[in-house]
Amino acid sequence: MTKYLINRILRGICSIVIVVGIVMVMVYSALDRNLIFAADSMYSHVKSNAKEVYMMQQWERYGYVDYVPYADYMRELVRDEEITQEQYNAAISFANKAEQDSESVAEFVKRFTEEYESKGYKVVRLDGKMKGKTKKYQDGGEPRLYAYKDIPVLMRLVNYFKDLISVDNIHNVEDDIENRGITFTLYDPAYGGEKFSPAVMGNGTHYKYLFYCNDSFPYIHQNLVKINLGLSYSIRQGIDVFQTMTESQGSYAYSTVTYPSGVVAEAADDLHSATYVSGSFAGGGPVVKANFVDDYTNISTNKNGMSKIGYSFTIGIIAVFLSYLVAVPLGIVMALRKDKLLDHIGTFYIVFITAVPSLAYIFLFKSLGGKFGLPTTFDMENPTWLMYVLPIISLSLPSIAGLMKWLRRYMIDQMNSDYVKFARSGGLSEGEIFRKHILKNAIIPIIHDIPGSVLGALTGAIITERVYVVPGVGNMLTRAINAYDNGVIIGMVLFYAVLTVTSVILGDVLMSVLDPRISFTAKAR
Amino acid sequence: MNEKKIDLSDLNMTDEELFAPVNHDDLESEKITAPRYSYWHSVFRVFFKKKINIVLLAVLAVLLVFTYVYPAIIGYDAAVDPYINLMDSTAKHLNPQTAMAKFGSNIHWILGSGASGQSTFDAIWYGSSISVSLALICALINMTIGVIVGAVWGFSKKVDVFMTEVYNVIANIPYILLISVIVLIMSASFWTMVFALTVTGWIGIAYFIRTQVIIIRDREYNLASRCLGTPITRIASKNILPFMTSVIVTLAAAEIPSYISYEVFLSYIGMGLSDMSLGKLIEASQNAMQTPGWEIEFWSPVAVASIITIVLYVVGQNLGDASDPRTHM
Repeated sequence: MTKYLINRILRGICSIVIVVGIVMVMVYSALDRNLIFAADSMYSHVKSNAKEVYMMQQWERYGYVDYVPYADYMRELVRDEEITQEQYNAAISFANKAEQDSESVAEFVKRFTEEYESKGYKVVRLDGKMKGKTKKYQDGGEPRLYAYKDIPVLMRLVNYFKDLISVDNIHNVEDDIENRGITFTLYDPAYGGEKFSPAVMGNGTHYKYLFYCNDSFPYIHQNLVKINLGLSYSIRQGIDVFQTMTESQGSYAYSTVTYPSGVVAEAADDLHSATYVSGSFAGGGPVVKANFVDDYTNISTNKNGMSKIGYSFTIGIIAVFLSYLVAVPLGIVMALRKDKLLDHIGTFYIVFITAVPSLAYIFLFKSLGGKFGLPTTFDMENPTWLMYVLPIISLSLPSIAGLMKWLRRYMIDQMNSDYVKFARSGGLSEGEIFRKHILKNAIIPIIHDIPGSVLGALTGAIITERVYVVPGVGNMLTRAINAYDNGVIIGMVLFYAVLTVTSVILGDVLMSVLDPRISFTAKAR
Repeated sequence: MNEKKIDLSDLNMTDEELFAPVNHDDLESEKITAPRYSYWHSVFRVFFKKKINIVLLAVLAVLLVFTYVYPAIIGYDAAVDPYINLMDSTAKHLNPQTAMAKFGSNIHWILGSGASGQSTFDAIWYGSSISVSLALICALINMTIGVIVGAVWGFSKKVDVFMTEVYNVIANIPYILLISVIVLIMSASFWTMVFALTVTGWIGIAYFIRTQVIIIRDREYNLASRCLGTPITRIASKNILPFMTSVIVTLAAAEIPSYISYEVFLSYIGMGLSDMSLGKLIEASQNAMQTPGWEIEFWSPVAVASIITIVLYVVGQNLGDASDPRTHM
């Protein structure tokens, strides 16, 4: 069994990697990379050489190319102390055309070109463009020099999975700081240092708090291990998809906060999210200087609402419970009263839900619910339980129909099988036959799908969330596709793929636990 | 008991004729006679025995006439007709009564007018012709590929190992992503959509058929057939395919409406066709739904799409039931 499971998990991981690879090929190679500028207002404003450079910068941010401008190269040389500041100043500004370069500029340009061409980069020099015959540059017509290289998909795939899970350590911060190490406290200073609340804090780590406690579920939190699904570029610039999914939303939630400097204030700042930003304390404004004592100044805020995944999961999981609660008894009754009125009503309902476009009945229930005074849109600021009602109903309707259909089918199949006739001829009561034989066998394929529906609740629902304006994860993929946000697309695909692969494996395990006849170790099929 | 007796004298036959000996033939008596049985004949006999099916077929015929004949009769031109009243601000968002009062009581205006003053009724049937064609073509392609691949997949264990992995991968690529990437690469035309819906759409059908084939493949009668030396192609075509007919018909019945629903869904999330299909109409009129008095613009394409899908689905399911030989008794 264990061997089989490991084999299954490994094969699952393989298919996940292949899926992500295929999607990477699709979004990075098959799609025209100019599409990312389709809705970009900056793109139409920049002109001439500046446009070329802007395109390069955007492509680098979206992960298409590795782009190195000449100036960056020179600055790096200064930082590595290969050249002096004077040499840098003499060589940094190159002329309009290559033949007009001064000697020192020409030397470094040659060095730059050779170094990057040997690494497989393409070096591009854009000559300065003048405004007519004047000595002024056109808008954005300054000369440019840069090197770029397309990033191959395979390398991107490897990098992506390498960076997927990051574990914080005390050597994370590159700057020269004192007292690297980890401290443990029973009285978290963020609560004023008097309330009992254990915390593990690091110095030299990316996050200041590695473990901490607070009063929201699951009470003990950690920042040590982080999942990076990929950075967003256009939807939420520079923020990881996983964070976008799991971060609280809505209006600020204020509480009494004790800053590291000892200042106590009513603020929404979440001190537990503090991360290191090099030079931010020295370069920060008066507020930063008043509140903080070191460079752990980058903090997020506490908000009142749930996270995207929180809303989707709340709605999804209640809908799953509701559908099993309703569908299982109804499916059983339909099978027992086969070809009677109740069966016909149930069949009609199943046909209606299966055949009618889901959009139609979701809107139908929205307008019906609106007539009964139920809220038809989601409002994070004034949450009531009533606003969950319609999305939950809309989500459960199709799954109830599906469950009823299959349970009825399985029950009827079992009823007609020989062992049931044998049990009846052996003198068992109908109730006994039903409970101990029919139901036990018919329910097994239904149980197989339970992990899938529970995990599926995490992915949200596209139409339901759109119609009821639920701030959930269901729309993230479609929004990312519309905005050409490659990072988010790949992150979401990985998220979906992991969930489906896990739920199939869990379903098989659950089935083999409940049904001793099903064994995965047997070789012959 | 029935006391009716036959009087032999009424038959006008001589005694010789009445009592002629019948030759007993051993060979003849070995023959088993059964009523002549034609499969498709029986399918339609069972299908038409239910009166509801005749009604549904009639409704389907009317729907198809409106879908394919009506736009041709009125000469609907998708480039011109939706915009004929564009400049007339009094022609927009009219309910059926006011539209008929304005333009005269004819069939074009029985569902009122839309956001650019076009006839909702005409637009719906033109859209329906696109959506139904899309569904039929996609279903045909996917069913053909799916059934063939599924049959091979179910029969060969080597193919099974390989295809199951392929299935695990393809099933995990979000459909929306695939479609939107293809649409972006190629343009949102009708045939692009067909390509996008069929490029991986067949694999679900193939997987379903594979499971069915595996179930039937190892039944005793096939085992016996194989022991008797029947070639595999003959087992596939004569032993298994007839068993699968009802499964395939039932599956096709569920597939065709599902493509219509899917087209509506894709248009709603903004990834659909560029043509004014039913889904596109629904998407274009969803703002009208929130305005009191304009709801009919939204609900009429929704209703037509629903009626078409329901009728297609029910007719197909009943045909699927009728094509199961066990119902022919």
